[in-house]
Amino acid sequence: MSAVAANYQKLQDLGVEVISVSVDSHFVHKIWNDEELSKMVDGGVPYHMVADQAGNVGRAYGCWDENQGVELRGRFIIDPDGVIQAMEVLTPPVGRKLAETIRQIQAYQHVRATGGKEACPAGWEPGKPTLKPGPDLVGKVWEVWNPSME
Amino acid sequence: MGVQVGQKAPDFTAPAYYKGSFTNVTLSDYAGKWVMLCFYPGDFTFV
Repeated sequence: MSAVAANYQKLQDLGVEVISVSVDSHFVHKIWNDEELSKMVDGGVPYHMVADQAGNVGRAYGCWDENQGVELRGRFIIDPDGVIQAMEVLTPPVGRKLAETIRQIQAYQHVRATGGKEACPAGWEPGKPTLKPGPDLVGKVWEVWNPSME
Repeated sequence: MGVQVGQKAPDFTAPAYYKGSFTNVTLSDYAGKWVMLCFYPGDFTFV
């Protein structure tokens, strides 16, 4: 989560709000911020750190490990309509890659800006060509896109 | 449990720490904004 804090400006520039959730109390969040994270990230943690001590939020999102009593590493991209557009859940020992989350947010924002008329092919990043699904594209994707463009 | 892409994110209200203060977070207050919601095992863990 310190990587998210360190790159918070990139998310703000995209108009993205961040909420983190763990089983720790808000008191423990404060101490973690004050004693450790503020030493990794200038100004400390810039987003809301939610306390989910009973696991209710984690359960609602399928991220609650009943045996360990902790949250799994779940990451959800939620659009302005409150709809989940993307989700990823990792077991605890491997961390996330924020750049991939940012890429997905940019792609979903692009799709939304086009009213769903454009789609983002594999590996799409801003500036790369999109696809315009419709009758004319059926069987013709090879003419406008190939895997080397990923 | 019952979350799926393309479906509404479950709403919740929970206590939170935010920039030196204690507050409550309600997901539905973020309507109209993009949200990245991240779960992690615990504070002071190593990854």
